[in-house]
Amino acid sequence: MSKKVLLLAVAVLFGSQAGLAMAANPDTGPGCGLGKVMWQNYPNVKTKGSQILMATTNGSFGTQTFGISTGTLGCTDDGRWWAEQKATMFAELNADALAQEMAQGRGEHLASMATLLGVAQPQHAAFFAMAQERYAALSGAGELSPAAMVQALNEGISADSSLVKVALN
Amino acid sequence: MFPRDAVIHIFFAFSILLASPGWSQAEPVIQDYQAELIERAGQTRLADEREWQLLLHYEVDLFGRAASEEDDEGFFLSPRGKFDPQAELDATIAQFFVTDLVGRSKQPAQCAFIARYHWLKERLQFDPHRLAPLECGRFDRWRAEMNPQGVSLIFPAAFLNNPASMFGHTFLRIDQRGQTEQTRLLAYTIDYAADVPDGAGIEYVYKGIFGAYKGFFSTPPYYFKVQAYRDIENRDMWEYQLNLTPDQIDRLLMHAWEMGNAYFDYFFFKENCSYHILSLLEYANPSLHLRDRFSLWTIPADTVRAIIDSPGLVGAATYRPSRSTIIKRKRALLTDEERSLSIGLMRDPDIAKESSFASLPLLRRAFVLDVASDYLRYKGESDDPEVTVYKERNRRVLTERSKLSIPSAEINIRPFTKQPDVGHRTTRVALGGGWRNDDTFEEASFRAVYHHLLDPEPGYTPDAQLEAFAVTVRRYNQADRVRVERATLINILSLSPIDDLFRAPSWRVNVGMDTLRRRGCQLCDNVVVDGGVGAAMESHVLNREVYFAFAEAEANYSKAYEERHRVGGGATVGMLADVTDRWKLILSWSYRRYPFGDKSDDIRWYAGSRLTLAQNWAVRMDYNHRDRDNDVVVSFQAFF
Repeated sequence: MSKKVLLLAVAVLFGSQAGLAMAANPDTGPGCGLGKVMWQNYPNVKTKGSQILMATTNGSFGTQTFGISTGTLGCTDDGRWWAEQKATMFAELNADALAQEMAQGRGEHLASMATLLGVAQPQHAAFFAMAQERYAALSGAGELSPAAMVQALNEGISADSSLVKVALN
Repeated sequence: MFPRDAVIHIFFAFSILLASPGWSQAEPVIQDYQAELIERAGQTRLADEREWQLLLHYEVDLFGRAASEEDDEGFFLSPRGKFDPQAELDATIAQFFVTDLVGRSKQPAQCAFIARYHWLKERLQFDPHRLAPLECGRFDRWRAEMNPQGVSLIFPAAFLNNPASMFGHTFLRIDQRGQTEQTRLLAYTIDYAADVPDGAGIEYVYKGIFGAYKGFFSTPPYYFKVQAYRDIENRDMWEYQLNLTPDQIDRLLMHAWEMGNAYFDYFFFKENCSYHILSLLEYANPSLHLRDRFSLWTIPADTVRAIIDSPGLVGAATYRPSRSTIIKRKRALLTDEERSLSIGLMRDPDIAKESSFASLPLLRRAFVLDVASDYLRYKGESDDPEVTVYKERNRRVLTERSKLSIPSAEINIRPFTKQPDVGHRTTRVALGGGWRNDDTFEEASFRAVYHHLLDPEPGYTPDAQLEAFAVTVRRYNQADRVRVERATLINILSLSPIDDLFRAPSWRVNVGMDTLRRRGCQLCDNVVVDGGVGAAMESHVLNREVYFAFAEAEANYSKAYEERHRVGGGATVGMLADVTDRWKLILSWSYRRYPFGDKSDDIRWYAGSRLTLAQNWAVRMDYNHRDRDNDVVVSFQAFF
């Protein structure tokens, strides 16, 4: 019982993202839900014609969301992610790549995720191994939503003393 | 009290009042300093300096008048700002003295136009006691988030089956302090793009060309762009590190912040993504004159060449392969048995349990599963209706993979093309001569854009062709005639070699005119509109060959025809061969039958050969045969 409380406390302490990830569904969380919205607006790859046309002028979605100096908008503040949303949004927007790299035990998205969760460079190898181990459990339980992935990674960080120690530093 | 004393008292009282703060004496002081600054700026002709012109994006038109390319009123502090650099400068200085919120970003002028502020402050040596500097918290937080240490230029190349994407795109990435190769994804980018509403159809083309869309700068994180370009669109990406000093990076960021206040009308040909990225770089380092060579149109690949031509501006170039390139390279590293296991796993992940798979060494099992997963992700992003099936299979493949408990090995993926900047420039002129039937001729030709299959390959997506606005003029010697021999409005060809993993149709479209010999007319204009769909296959007998076959439809218009036109269809088969690095050949044979209009049929042969002399020079020989009509031309080509 006390170990669980400790785990929870540690998770909340150094990773406010963890708190958000565990508590909030990104779709209904504070001012967000951006992930879904953005991909809805992306030129639908199913319509090849529009894809071809889009390619010619590189018309892009996200110009307003990440508009420079236009103030706050959903999850962003002058075009930068709200600090506490960064890890969640990264997971949300890179879910496929993250899942693949967790299973493969390496990769840019996984390394970036580690950085966002506060894991230092020398600990990345251990983080990757931990992620790979947890992937099978997540997949088996059918729990591969971005929120679940972030939660699993945070739990893994707090469970591994070497990762935790450095993160707190 | 005598009047004299009263006067003295009143005089003292006034003096005290005048000397005390709070009296509106402060205003005239501000007005004085403001006027002083404006006057000094006028005397030193600051409004004519390059930096001011760059900050306000003034361009000089044919009559020598200045007009800013900026199209948003909120960008100017003077109502005449768009056409009057001096008025804008004066209004800007005036606005620095107040805290009114201006611009789309709703900040005081010192912050909304922070680059202008810092430049004017330095040139005019603002006295902080007379012009109080404001804190710009929003900018400071934004800049802190960017955490800048360097800038890279990113160039997504063309993607398969879409020659139009050969135009490419450029944007900047703000590299962060402490960034490693593994964490590049987290950097922010600065990107200029048109804001296009959902579901725009064909109007997208003419609105883009004629500036009906607004273009904005934005800062999506790099992982966003990688996903859009590399994963969804399957483009290779090239990252060019730029050598900018910390001061230059600051200038770039400050000006980018200012650009958040405004939009430009987006013109696909001239004022497009790459053009505006160049404008940011020019403000960072005003000694760069990158946009000078782009007068009528700006092609992204050409802007990359312009940047590289600037001595010392570009450092290292890094390649980021598209998913299809990754798959092709990895697949080449599999044995035949592993390859068929990989394909089997893509269809049924349970094959992982079979002994043929389980008997492979651990590292090979991991690699085979990785290739299967890459391919399933590739299919999962396509227009295939079975996307959820692929995603589910991928999940099972990855579950098997994670059980192997070893990290995947790093594989160095080599690109199929050279760096885009080593490619030939996109405008081509040629001079040549030859003979046609019983006559000889000289010819001159011009092609505005972009790349022909027989143009030198390095730096270009293989098997993709896009030509627009081309004309060839010939002087026939015996006939003593000069005529427009050929003209092209648009000519697109995309060959997609088919193999067990990648299956896409090849296609072509051509609108233009050429010259016909028919029915007593020796040299007649012939308008051609044709297109086709087909398939292609690759082999490596000598070096590289591609065989293709098309089913085609064609319409012709010419006074040489009965009823002046004919419509029909047919087929073309042919091959192209990269005989050596410099020598390329194309051969084709076409048959056409025209049941409408002038009922007729046609058999054509074509043989083309190109020898590359240098990056921007080549020699071509083309032989065309039609019914009793033979045409041979040899020409020298130059690209600029």
